[in-house]
Amino acid sequence: MKVKVGIMSFAHLHADSYAHCLLTNPRAEFVGIADHDRQRAQQKAQQYGVQAFDSYESLLASEVEAVIICSENVKHAPLAQMAAAAGKHILCEKPLMTRMEDGQAMLAAARGAGVQLFTAFPCRFSPAFQQLRAMVQAGEIGELLAMRGTNRGVNPGGWFNDPELAGGGAMMDHTVHVADLMRLLTGKEVVEVYAETNNLMYHGNFDDTAMLTLTFEGGIFATLDSSWSRPRTFPTWGDVTLAVYGTRGVIEMDMFAQYLRHYDDRAGRIRQVFWGDNIDALMVDEFLRAVAGEPATTLATGEDGYKAAAVAIAGYESVRRGEPVRV
Amino acid sequence: MVKVGIVGLGTMGRQHAEAYRQMPDVQLSVVYDHHRDRAEAFAREFGTAVARDWDDFFNQCEIVDICTPTYRHTEYALAAIQAGKAVVCEKPLARTIEECEQIVEAVHRHSALFMPAHVLRFFPEYRTAHQMVKAGTLGTVAAVRMRRGGDFPRTKSDWYADYEKSGGIIMDLIIHDLDWVRWTLGEVERVYAKSLTFRQVEHLDYTLVTLRLRNGAVAHIEGTWCDPGGFRVAFEICGDAGMLEYDSAQMVALRIARRAEEGQGGGVEVPESPAVANPYYLELRHFIECYRTGQQPEITVEDGMEAVRLTLAAIESARTGQVIRL
Repeated sequence: MKVKVGIMSFAHLHADSYAHCLLTNPRAEFVGIADHDRQRAQQKAQQYGVQAFDSYESLLASEVEAVIICSENVKHAPLAQMAAAAGKHILCEKPLMTRMEDGQAMLAAARGAGVQLFTAFPCRFSPAFQQLRAMVQAGEIGELLAMRGTNRGVNPGGWFNDPELAGGGAMMDHTVHVADLMRLLTGKEVVEVYAETNNLMYHGNFDDTAMLTLTFEGGIFATLDSSWSRPRTFPTWGDVTLAVYGTRGVIEMDMFAQYLRHYDDRAGRIRQVFWGDNIDALMVDEFLRAVAGEPATTLATGEDGYKAAAVAIAGYESVRRGEPVRV
Repeated sequence: MVKVGIVGLGTMGRQHAEAYRQMPDVQLSVVYDHHRDRAEAFAREFGTAVARDWDDFFNQCEIVDICTPTYRHTEYALAAIQAGKAVVCEKPLARTIEECEQIVEAVHRHSALFMPAHVLRFFPEYRTAHQMVKAGTLGTVAAVRMRRGGDFPRTKSDWYADYEKSGGIIMDLIIHDLDWVRWTLGEVERVYAKSLTFRQVEHLDYTLVTLRLRNGAVAHIEGTWCDPGGFRVAFEICGDAGMLEYDSAQMVALRIARRAEEGQGGGVEVPESPAVANPYYLELRHFIECYRTGQQPEITVEDGMEAVRLTLAAIESARTGQVIRL
């Protein structure tokens, strides 16, 4: 039995990757697409050979069992609540929410409707991260003391640069992946956040440079650079790195450092050609299994998404107050 | 012949002696160290004299080069300035701001020629990056990341492990990067830091420091004394017109890997960056030129004090959990 899935909105660029994952996964039946931009729904439906729905309501009224939400950040909450009310399981693009009350409403809606709500944190599925986590759990670097993480990117532009739709800038966009990895790795919650931001890369009304300091329960500390600081000539989209320091050693992960360096005369630039595993595909596969009733072991829950987004939201509060804030 | 005396004959004293040996117009005329046996072996190796006492030391040199552990800098610097000597003093200038102020005051009162030895400014990779930022090559700088460190430093007296003497990793190690950031991007507005220094983990130290500069840029400095993977430095400077990156582990001119001898442990791999003149030579040569010509050194005693002020702010932030505004 295939799992019937629809995609709600193609605003986020990750939607194309998830669409590809659905089309190539034998467990999935990619039913169709709805988007507040109907033209985009038509165009994407045609591109992927699936049905275009003229509204979110009609998609949710169809036979789909599950949806993937890839809207602008601030629309995650209303779309997730609609999907939950229609009894659909949900995989929601990150950050889960941009305001705490939105996240609480999403979790309550899923719980009330008895549907599963997951957050799209594919980095959890990275084999490099899985090995890092197994080694830390086995005590191979002793007691964990501190961590240093980055998730830098090129500025994605578009609505990502509109705080009304994105709920912030680089810090809102890029904090949650590595904050989630740090939570998963330590098994501890972030209790305090300090953040410094500026807009000196693009000079817009959004933060493009963001440096967070996180303190976890028990005193482990970490910094997390979530800036859009990769220049336009950078050879790839950005990075996800995590270094962990223990009493007996160090492990440094550069998650996407599985690439060929391509000196491309035709394009006039240097590129990294990634050859590692497709972590989006691994994540979508577990989502499909979870919808089919199998237990999810790696997938991030709605609660995980909420906790990670709370770190970014606390970061903005820290910037406003100019001091560390409790989460 | 310019006559130089070195006090403190550990790792830095040796580096400096090697540099002077390459200068035909400089004579390492006298040395001094608390460990008498070390001083005598050193003097034999470098063909110089061992001072009996302070008067004897000062009588035999024009320039005093202070390479002792940090907590002795003030005492030696003040004595040398008072004796009318030109002084080059290893970083950190001193252990506290009060001591720094005493040195600054003495330098001005005696119109002494004085240079705190922030050698990082003479490392060609850091100097080139500084010059490119100053020339505007990267546009407006938004973010800087710097990394420095390796395993815990072990010395004869283990003074690095004594916080009161060394100031821990922030004062001893990342003062280099703090000085570079201030030199390159200007004054710092506030500091927030985390550090293992006060957790007292035996022979481990690690720190993450975030600086907000007056021009709005954000700088992140990582210092580690808990990485058994070998000493490594890296930096990255992001501006609105481009980015510079350097990583000593990736950009290696000469990688040397030796097979272990029969019956011994694993082999050792050493990365090297050979150059005609090393940074210690360039730094000390600059000071010698200043001595000969009377020009001011490009690193002032105030620069030395401000670098110490930044380290103390980071230490205070790490200790209290508060943002320290300067």
